[in-house]
Amino acid sequence: MTRPRRWVPWLLAGAAYAGFVISLYLTFVHYRGYVSPCYVVHGCEEVQTSTYSVILGVPLALLGTIFFAFMFYLGIGLLTASRVLVVRVYKVLAFAGALAIIPLFLLQAIVLKAFCTYCVATEAIMLLLWVVSFLLTAPERARATL
Amino acid sequence: MHAPGNHLFASKGVPWVGGSFLLLLAVVALYLFTGAAASEPARTPQPSADDISFGPADATLAVIEYSDFQCPFCAEYSSILAALRETYGDRVRFVFRFYPLANHQYATISAKAAYAASLQGKFWEMHDLLFENQKEWSESADPRPYFDSYAESLGLDLDKFHADADAQSTTDFIKRQAAEGKKGGVTHTPWFVVGDSVVLPRSLDEFDKLIREAL
Repeated sequence: MTRPRRWVPWLLAGAAYAGFVISLYLTFVHYRGYVSPCYVVHGCEEVQTSTYSVILGVPLALLGTIFFAFMFYLGIGLLTASRVLVVRVYKVLAFAGALAIIPLFLLQAIVLKAFCTYCVATEAIMLLLWVVSFLLTAPERARATL
Repeated sequence: MHAPGNHLFASKGVPWVGGSFLLLLAVVALYLFTGAAASEPARTPQPSADDISFGPADATLAVIEYSDFQCPFCAEYSSILAALRETYGDRVRFVFRFYPLANHQYATISAKAAYAASLQGKFWEMHDLLFENQKEWSESADPRPYFDSYAESLGLDLDKFHADADAQSTTDFIKRQAAEGKKGGVTHTPWFVVGDSVVLPRSLDEFDKLIREAL
């Protein structure tokens, strides 16, 4: 029998919160109409000002903010009531997030030839959420009925 | 048997309220943070005689800019700076310093072109042309023909322009300014110093207000 890992929901909620903060920052930067200055470390400006930073009029940063807020609340859901449905939804969304990383990363590497530190950080967090989601275990009683 | 984690909180509502509070806190903090103009004491060198500048050398206030001609953010600011030079050019000394970033392929060569133009008294004209046409030369395979065309349009002596751009003294000047900037804490471009403070105003109005307050 596997013991439930109590640190997993905490890690997931914390990582999602970090992703939320970074994405929210990029969203404010987008709507305030300016980009981060060009830093000595590889710049964000090429990525943030590219046409790929907006999909159907919605900035990717805003989509990221919503995604991470949702994952944060799901993380709280796992902390308070680790139900089978919450675990399943979490795993599906974490997988969807991991899939979304592929085009985002390739766009930066191949098309834009520039990496935005903030964007890479959010992608790393999405990957982390997916990897760690494998450690989520359904509650025993609920599992027994599966 | 309780689901894992159920015992962590006396009330199930606590984490939801606490979590929502954290999200709200982030929203408010980032709203304020991204709206505020940063300001800190400057550690970069004061204006000197060999600085490239616009406005009276004995002005009581100097606005120093560390910039990179291939930086899109600097290009966005060039029109703001042009408007400020127009308004305050008789009272404020506007200093331009080179800070070519390593991640911009043509940052140094464009800085050399601007410095070479300065030796023929056309720095600000070349400065404006480089920023106005940033996209065309920065995305080209070779920016030099573009720089030549700008130099020609400004009536520069092309042979001297080439010789000055390739001179070791030009490289040394740019490297020295960048090294001094780095030592003074410059971490990004554009980097503005108004009086004794490092600032990053977000608009012409904000920049104008900072200068008026410093005068």
